[in-house]
Amino acid sequence: MTFPTIIVRGLMRRPVRTGLTLFGISIGIAAVVALVGVSRGFETSWNVGMRTRHIDIVVSTLGSGITPKPFDASVRDRVAAVPGVTDTCALFVDFTSVEDSPMLIVSAREWGGFSWNHLKIVSGRMPNDATEPAVVLGRTAAETLKKKVGDPIQIDIRELKVVGIVDGGALVENGSVMLSLDLMQEITGNEGRINIIDVRVKPGSSEEEIQRVCEAINRVVPEAKAMSAGEHIASSEAYRFVQAMSWSTSLLAVIMGVLGVMNTMLMTVFERKQEICILLAIGWRRRRIMLMILGESALLGLLGGMVGVLIGVLGVKAIHGLPGIRGLLDPDLSPRLFVTSVTISIGVGVLSGLYPAWRSSRLTPSLALQG
Amino acid sequence: MNAAASNAATPQTCLFEAVGLQKEFDDGRVQALRGVDLRISEGEFVSIIGPSGCGKTTLLQMLGALDHPSSGELKYRGKSMLHGLDAATYRAREIGFIFQAFHLLPTFTAVENVQLPMLETTTKASERRERAASLLKSVGLEHRTDHFPAKLSGGERQRVAIARSLANQPSVLLADEPTGNLDSENAVMILELLIRIHREQKMTLILVTHDLSIARQASRMIEMKDGRVINDLRGALRP
Repeated sequence: MTFPTIIVRGLMRRPVRTGLTLFGISIGIAAVVALVGVSRGFETSWNVGMRTRHIDIVVSTLGSGITPKPFDASVRDRVAAVPGVTDTCALFVDFTSVEDSPMLIVSAREWGGFSWNHLKIVSGRMPNDATEPAVVLGRTAAETLKKKVGDPIQIDIRELKVVGIVDGGALVENGSVMLSLDLMQEITGNEGRINIIDVRVKPGSSEEEIQRVCEAINRVVPEAKAMSAGEHIASSEAYRFVQAMSWSTSLLAVIMGVLGVMNTMLMTVFERKQEICILLAIGWRRRRIMLMILGESALLGLLGGMVGVLIGVLGVKAIHGLPGIRGLLDPDLSPRLFVTSVTISIGVGVLSGLYPAWRSSRLTPSLALQG
Repeated sequence: MNAAASNAATPQTCLFEAVGLQKEFDDGRVQALRGVDLRISEGEFVSIIGPSGCGKTTLLQMLGALDHPSSGELKYRGKSMLHGLDAATYRAREIGFIFQAFHLLPTFTAVENVQLPMLETTTKASERRERAASLLKSVGLEHRTDHFPAKLSGGERQRVAIARSLANQPSVLLADEPTGNLDSENAVMILELLIRIHREQKMTLILVTHDLSIARQASRMIEMKDGRVINDLRGALRP
């Protein structure tokens, strides 16, 4: 028999209580995995979308809202004139409900702009011109909306026609409804307004060079902000708010886990008071008693973390399958997130065990002779 | 220190020396020991007898370093137990405890219970297991090694507890009413086992009891009342 055996036996004394405590921590850790995984995944898939369209800089007014505020389309000409800028494409992008789907990206692109170029037709065709009342759907958006080529689709108050289904090479693109900028401006009453300008710079430019171009754009365009494509989503206030919410909700769940483990370990110490005194009476050092209690709570944390990761992954998969979400998220379920989650869980276990361990080490061995 | 070895060298070494030993509880409202003077030599079999509340268990706690005296001096092999000894090391290496209620840990088998004290003294798990099995054999429980306490009779549990008390080859066995929870047949068997261990291993045995017939099995009987020693009888005590 080894010391770890003793730790395991300690937890097996009350299997139901151990199981419930473990479930408590695992819910907290599942929340970490799910919320953080989803928010990180959103950032990743957004950035992949940018790379697919070969965008180096994004000019927008992405502030606290989920979609950027519109600004005058003439800004595009000022951006295009900035030295170092090789190409631009004006867009009007909105996150909105489309028919039965609660949230989809509706991405209106300047007709003839480079943001159309990478789209591969899976079925149907591209719109004939900027004014044809037609859209193309990303593959996932088509599945979500249950649309095929030729079907009608309602955007705002106008009925348009699905003329093609495309593969955009990235989750964000495949989850979008795409149409011409002129059509969108007309439908939404935003003539002459855009809310994003995708910018390309000279191929092979370094991060420093891209930053310099951003600074130059910001000098001539005070009404919007230019950011490198990688920073764009991460610096969005809305995204940062979502991230902060994810972490704070996770933290709350983890705190509940801490309280659960601490409660269990305190009950363990009180219940096993005499046993602990007997161990002290037969020569165990107080340090070993503390290690035993800490070991039990750390093991609870480890097991809770592992179960939590499993529940989190299953939860994320379930969320991912929901019709309104499927096109928007590619959750980040990386080993790094799992290791972080399990480490947090072990930390929760150790932290929760500190006070009970200290209490256990304060017991006097003479209690062993009573009762 | 191994009892047999030290006994062979100095058979009459003073093991415990108590001078004016006092113990108070509840801010002095309860006086469990009111000045006990006592010397116990190595290899003795001493019984401590007296009515409930006379202080015999408190005295045993002091001898086993489970508690500190409120005043007075208590020495083990000439060293002050308050200042000269590390209590945990002393309890682990010098003392074997036997309790009235056996106090085996329910989630561990007999052989695992016997190994528990060895975690502080023996590094190798295989050595611990081997020694525990051999100790259980010596108390006649080789066929019950992997049984949990709940599956053992009272007499068997106390024999496991005795094997556990011998785990680290202590110099002294401290037994608190070791037959108190047993029927008469098992009580006799446990007492005989303790006497056998005392004789064969020349181990000091200090046994607390309120049963005069058991106390008389010892070569020395200390009688206590109201926290004081009122009689200290030596020699053949059997009626």
